[in-house]
Amino acid sequence: MDTIDRFIEKAKVAGAEVARVDAICAAAFIADFLKKNNLKTAIISPDLKARPPFDAAFAALGTGLAGGELWVDAGIVAADYGIAETGTLVHFDRSDDEKNAWTLPDVCLCVLDTVKIVPALEAIVPEISAHLGRTDIASPQVSLVTGPSRTADVENQLTIGVHGPARLIIVLA
Amino acid sequence: MPKKPAVDPALKGVLQEFSRTYRRKRAAVLEGYDFEALRTRLAAVKDAALDRNAELLARFEERARAHGSVVLRARDGAEANAAILGICREHKIDALAKAKSMVSEETGLNAYLAAHGVTARETDLGEWIVQLASERPTHMVMPAIHMTRGDVAALFSRRLGREIPDDIPALVRIARGEMRKEIFAAQAGLTGANALIAESGAIMVVTNEGNGRLVTTVPPVHIVLASIEKVVPSTAEALDILRILPRNATGQSITSYVSFIAGPHTTAQYVILLDNHRSEMAADPVFRAALRCVKCSACLNVCPVYQLLGGEEYSHIYMGGIGTLFTAWIHGLDKSKALAKYCLRCHRCEGFCAAKIPIADLITALAERLNRETGKTPWKRLAFDGVMGRPKLQQAAFKAARTARKALGTKDGFARRLPAWMKKYDRFRALPAPAAMTFARRFEKERGTAGAAARPAKGAVTIYGGCLIEHFYPEIGLAAARVLARLGYEVKPGPDLCCGFPPSNAGYRQASGRAFKALLRAFEGEGPVVTLCPTCATMLARRGPEIDGSDEAKALAARIVPFGRFIAERELAAVAGRPTPAGLAVTYHDSCHHKNVLAAEKDSRRAIASALGAPVVEMDEPDACCGFAGTFCVDNPEISAGLLADKLAAIEKTGAGVVAMDCPGCLMQIRGGCRRSGLAVRAAHTAELLDEALTPSGL
Repeated sequence: MDTIDRFIEKAKVAGAEVARVDAICAAAFIADFLKKNNLKTAIISPDLKARPPFDAAFAALGTGLAGGELWVDAGIVAADYGIAETGTLVHFDRSDDEKNAWTLPDVCLCVLDTVKIVPALEAIVPEISAHLGRTDIASPQVSLVTGPSRTADVENQLTIGVHGPARLIIVLA
Repeated sequence: MPKKPAVDPALKGVLQEFSRTYRRKRAAVLEGYDFEALRTRLAAVKDAALDRNAELLARFEERARAHGSVVLRARDGAEANAAILGICREHKIDALAKAKSMVSEETGLNAYLAAHGVTARETDLGEWIVQLASERPTHMVMPAIHMTRGDVAALFSRRLGREIPDDIPALVRIARGEMRKEIFAAQAGLTGANALIAESGAIMVVTNEGNGRLVTTVPPVHIVLASIEKVVPSTAEALDILRILPRNATGQSITSYVSFIAGPHTTAQYVILLDNHRSEMAADPVFRAALRCVKCSACLNVCPVYQLLGGEEYSHIYMGGIGTLFTAWIHGLDKSKALAKYCLRCHRCEGFCAAKIPIADLITALAERLNRETGKTPWKRLAFDGVMGRPKLQQAAFKAARTARKALGTKDGFARRLPAWMKKYDRFRALPAPAAMTFARRFEKERGTAGAAARPAKGAVTIYGGCLIEHFYPEIGLAAARVLARLGYEVKPGPDLCCGFPPSNAGYRQASGRAFKALLRAFEGEGPVVTLCPTCATMLARRGPEIDGSDEAKALAARIVPFGRFIAERELAAVAGRPTPAGLAVTYHDSCHHKNVLAAEKDSRRAIASALGAPVVEMDEPDACCGFAGTFCVDNPEISAGLLADKLAAIEKTGAGVVAMDCPGCLMQIRGGCRRSGLAVRAAHTAELLDEALTPSGL
């Protein structure tokens, strides 16, 4: 099995949904998904908003929670790496807005470039270490996200969406 | 005596089911991985990091400061709590949102802050529920494992003033809303750390729910409360922890969220490094191994006693066997005394430990310390220091017991008239009476029929029976002798002295050493020493040489072979008997030392299958302890009875007519339990089954 197939399989095992689209269609796919699923409020992570074609497609979307509201329907983000062994998304955070766009919404849509999928976390140890060592940005953080937010704290029964998103949609482009 | 434990049948059911699900998920997620290699690596990483602890902490501190973090050292819980209160005062924090932190439980942080006007709200769902109920977590990974959905719904209904249905997704949805409000209202977030990374000054936080992310991004101040043994050199070692922690904790390949965080995200980040006697623990050559612990809870998930009692009873703050060790160092020896008695020393947890911590052996070392520093239990002092440690008295005591056979009303090998004080040990299983003659004596007397090979061609074999075979079940020794003689060995019995294990296990190291030494001196000859009791074998092959240290002890250790292994390795084809009579099924009980220390469980199954011409019928949880466990069943008769009841139910469910085992201690427990409960199943030693299968008129 190749690395991409393995990533898809493991991400699904972890409860994520995976959509494979052409790179040029990713923004359109997400816009369509928001409409079809009636996700009215959405935020976009600053790093993705700076990236064409997402900058134009989502020009109207804010990058953070404006008035301190607690809830938002959807967050649109991009991952820096994918880990095939566990179906994990890796993001090198540079700001709280980026982190919040991953965590606060009910649904998280994440764009991942297939060339950024590596077999195991151990393959990107130097990159992780380098990012955490950065002193040019406040609070460098590396986030590993695998599937939706989950708990089994009541009767050991798996339940999704306890703090973070109940749905994680990976848009593989 | 500790207070009488309350075995709650509903809780026991939940914990046992959790344990089964856990083991199934863990086995599936570890498929294709070399668990032994992973944990050997983790143990080495943690040991190496402990060796360099001071240096790594200094490096971490320097790197964290470079990111703008404030690093504080706390010698004990009081200092840590005071430091956190100081931070709250400085930043005018009156509400704190917490991700799960066992270290904050250790310091009693929530109560301390509450007393000083700061509200600390838990955000891990299980912890949040437990806090709402004004209770304490009963499991490190599953804090509310003791509560049902009905309990949670009733709790939410009371708190919210409306009727909440007991539907789990709905309950989680409601909690999500309430917890999010609390997180946004908090001025600071507090987390623990699964690792402190020295090279970058970053922390690693592992969660499933995402609360770790929220409390470190939403409130402006982030406080990290971490114990000093969490520091590792670099990202690579943190990933060594991450590779095994979720797999071993919950059977997940990775948790939903893992965050590596360096420095303050907005206003400030404080990292409090708590020692609380860990430096002393690290300096102790024996107990330092416990500091490898990554808090995965696998040991609790497979602990038979934990599943019976739950974490409220079997804890001070930290739970189970590993928790007992931390309690002794962190909260004081006196607090660990009652807990230490709960460990069966079955070693089951050691097969699951992510960091290869010899938990059971460390509990034994703790028992020695408790005896030394907090005083000995009178009856154990008499039995071990007074009798077992003195070979002449030991033999006199057994002789005296033999003369009491008539007074005990002996029938079918059971004592029917016991003194009143023994009644609570006899209620759930009938106790055997001492045999009229020891194995050694009977062997001499019946030499012609028992031990003489027709043509001894394969050399000499010594059978060491041990106390239970010598004094209670000599027929098992004779059965083993007949089997080996028939296979062509020249058989003779070993010395009829105690191996020294019981005093050792109870923490009477000197008495144990004396008993072992006397046995060692009495041993003669060369060639294999076949053992019929895995506990004796553990003493002779492992613990005795550790205590004694002599070349003679090592030489004897090299000769020890458990009976089942002797047959499986040398005589498997030769013991092939006649096919099992139709309808006679045999099930097999794994004795703790036989499986978890000697790893001989497959050998015995193979030997029995060969002799009977059919594999054993497996029972549920064949390796769950039967509850005998030596002095454990004297210290904890209620737990012993509970474990035995589960074992008997598992045996009955197989429909087998015979339950085989390799330990005369288990035999005493299970045979007595069958007798008392009226279960018509015969409990037999593996040697007895083989003897019968090879005897023309047998079975």
